[in-house]
Amino acid sequence: MKKYTLKRIGTSLFTLLAILLVLFILMHLMPGSPFNDEKLNDDQRTVLYEKYGLDQPVPVQFVKYVGNMLRGDMGVSYNISKNTPILQLIESRLPISIRIGGCAVLIGAVAGLLLGLLAALKHDTIWDSLATVISVIGVSVPSYVFALALSYYFGFKLRWFPMLFSADTLFKSSVLPSVSLSMFTMASIARFTRSEMLEVLGSDYMLLAESKGVSGPALIFRHALRNALIPIITVLAPLIVDLMTGSLVVEKIFSIPGVGSLLVNAIQSNDYNVVIALSFIYSAMYIGIMLVVDILYGIIDPRIRLAKKGD
Amino acid sequence: MKRKKMTLAILLACSMMAGLVGCGGSDTAEAPADASGTEEASAEGAEGVSGEDLKVMIETPVESIDPQIGQDGTSFEVIADFTDGLMQMDADGQAVPAIAESYEVSDDGLTYTFHLREDAKWSNGTQVTAADFVFGWQRAVDPNNASEYSYMLSDIGQVKNAAEIIAGEKDKSELGVTAVDDTTLQVELNVPVSYFLSLMYFPTYYPVNEEFYNSCGDTFATSPETTLANGAFVLDSYEPAATSIHLSKNPDYYDADKVQLAGLSYQVIQDSQQALMSYQAGDLDTTLINGEQVDQVKDDPEFLSIGAGYMWYLSPNVRDVPELANLNIRKAMTMAIDREAITNDVLKDGSTPTYTAVPPQFAAGPDGSDFSEDQTKFSDVCTYDTAKAVEYWEKGLEELGVSEITLDMVLDADDAPQKVAQVLKEQWETTLPGLTLNLVVEPKKQRLQDMQEGNFQIGLTRWGPDYADPMTYLGMWVTDNSNNYGFWSNADYDAIIAECTTGDLCTDPEGRWAKLYEAEQIVMDEAVIFPLYTQCNAEMLSSKVTGVEYHPVALNRVYKNAVKAE
Repeated sequence: MKKYTLKRIGTSLFTLLAILLVLFILMHLMPGSPFNDEKLNDDQRTVLYEKYGLDQPVPVQFVKYVGNMLRGDMGVSYNISKNTPILQLIESRLPISIRIGGCAVLIGAVAGLLLGLLAALKHDTIWDSLATVISVIGVSVPSYVFALALSYYFGFKLRWFPMLFSADTLFKSSVLPSVSLSMFTMASIARFTRSEMLEVLGSDYMLLAESKGVSGPALIFRHALRNALIPIITVLAPLIVDLMTGSLVVEKIFSIPGVGSLLVNAIQSNDYNVVIALSFIYSAMYIGIMLVVDILYGIIDPRIRLAKKGD
Repeated sequence: MKRKKMTLAILLACSMMAGLVGCGGSDTAEAPADASGTEEASAEGAEGVSGEDLKVMIETPVESIDPQIGQDGTSFEVIADFTDGLMQMDADGQAVPAIAESYEVSDDGLTYTFHLREDAKWSNGTQVTAADFVFGWQRAVDPNNASEYSYMLSDIGQVKNAAEIIAGEKDKSELGVTAVDDTTLQVELNVPVSYFLSLMYFPTYYPVNEEFYNSCGDTFATSPETTLANGAFVLDSYEPAATSIHLSKNPDYYDADKVQLAGLSYQVIQDSQQALMSYQAGDLDTTLINGEQVDQVKDDPEFLSIGAGYMWYLSPNVRDVPELANLNIRKAMTMAIDREAITNDVLKDGSTPTYTAVPPQFAAGPDGSDFSEDQTKFSDVCTYDTAKAVEYWEKGLEELGVSEITLDMVLDADDAPQKVAQVLKEQWETTLPGLTLNLVVEPKKQRLQDMQEGNFQIGLTRWGPDYADPMTYLGMWVTDNSNNYGFWSNADYDAIIAECTTGDLCTDPEGRWAKLYEAEQIVMDEAVIFPLYTQCNAEMLSSKVTGVEYHPVALNRVYKNAVKAE
């Protein structure tokens, strides 16, 4: 187990370095430069390039960047917020994205589970069809459409919730963005729960449990749902990262000062350091969660661990 | 055993989620201080004024509130809310004394002496002194700061030694600005600059208190605590790239009696539908809207069309494209454009057709008249006349010995340019037989780079004035200017511009003005650019609000004299 874990961690670190290199190269292939304003003349551009070290060859820049990063310095922003250290920019924004995304995961997971359960238990009834229709809509309609629709009805028409995010009314103004973001998670979880539950419900051990006299909620929750949960956690893990790293479009719509809207603005203005830092953090979170999931599998299901040992 | 492990796993997963989520409304304190609470603000502003916050939508976050680093319109607007320069803009865009109570100009126009008011205070209580201006201006030209607007002091302001300091040839202490005493500031120029006073309201020329700056170190102008105000408002909520910013009335402002608003509350909204809905719901007092929304609101009395100063034009690459090097072809193309159709049927935001190389309504001459008020002055070379266009076109084709021309036009991937380009393509291909226009849509940064490197045939671009003088436009077509995308070169033209920038005409406003007309005539006769339209922004402004001042140059909106009725 220890060897397996160490090996996984090693691979993850290597992947991260490779990602950083690719990001760096991609950034410098992006058209234009951060200082490509029509008002700038050549002399000023030279001064700016020198100041930020962009006049050096890309490999030199990369080595310097990695060196600085190991010391906890991810550079400064060129455009979005001139000369502000990237970490400072991200520090105040990441919690907001995580909060909204986290709420979305929670809402999505709970609603999805219930919906999936309903569909599985009332298999082949109108409830099942209804749940299927809802999940198809949830998966296929982009979150920003939900965002605009919710904002129009519940924000503008009914005035139940504010249309824009505000730190003063943190809870109320988080509702609409969280709900619009949760739709995809809800739909995916509902579909998985339904199929997993159907499989588990038809299995021999369920028959055994039933014949032992277990019935009602105990049968469903203790025996069926628990076994169906393992694959669901697998699906949920990447969804959690997706949501917590901020939704690019939904943050923009609700004016949420999160990392998603920061990334969009950074890409549009060629703010290299912000784009690299954010993409890197996303990747690190993703890989981190995947690592945790892999290790969790080993703990949950000894067969996986044993299989690895046998390799 | 297995059950235990599974329970553990599920618990772990749940706690991981719960830990990251922290859902719930109780921990408001943790969120960034965003004190836009109206009650709080109006309580603060209660001193003699019973005003309310003005709630303003901005399209993009502020890039910097450091006066020498900021370089976009939104940043300038916010910086000017809490900082006054030597001069500020009045409602008509004229420079009026602000921190400077009075000033004198030497007879040769090379030395300006400003007398500062003694009651101007920074928000930490210290007096605003001449030394603060010296420090601010030196920061602007210090190569270590790499200020993108340093050319406001060198090329445009012609402050002595500014260019040499930017180039690293001289020390910043040699800049031609001296604090004679606390309230006397002397500025030396290389050549007389007729519009020098109007540069003083430009944030690059704003003062910075050296002692305070040093006490902040690297964090200067990144939070309300590291910012000093000497203007109508004080910053009380801001963080880098914030989506909301709040300012309150500055009770210690020397002109505080005139400030009616309790505060300003900025909200960044990047989605235009959300912006308009927020406005209609009363969450905003003013907002920008886009061309598509204009139809919905055009009969609303709160709808405004505000001149944005930007002139959109086409730049033909006259050096590298043989077809465009032909004057008749260029004349035919500019005369085949129906500019009215573009502004009235496509843009619909109040933008006005433009037929001059310098757009109207931003530069007034020595006699107070608008440089480009007469839009028909070049009607022999720039107007909509399809018959004449075809005549020139055929002449041009004959000279070139071809019957068909295919041209590529580069444009930005934004909404308005794409719409305009579609119409241009249609107009040209309909009117000019044998012309095929290919549209090359690129991200703006790429398009600019392509044009600067001459890697284009014809480009759709824009220019906004930096100061209230026609030179901000005419200076572009000088040989080798980085904005002379088409690489046009004309010795007579260069001579006129030189004479008007650094030559004898600097002390003769009327003579200079007449020469500038001559220069514009050359550009238009040669069809070096095809002016299209002067951009207007479509805005909504609540009928409760009066006194917001709009300007196409430098500070786009000024709120000092704005009033919001209860």
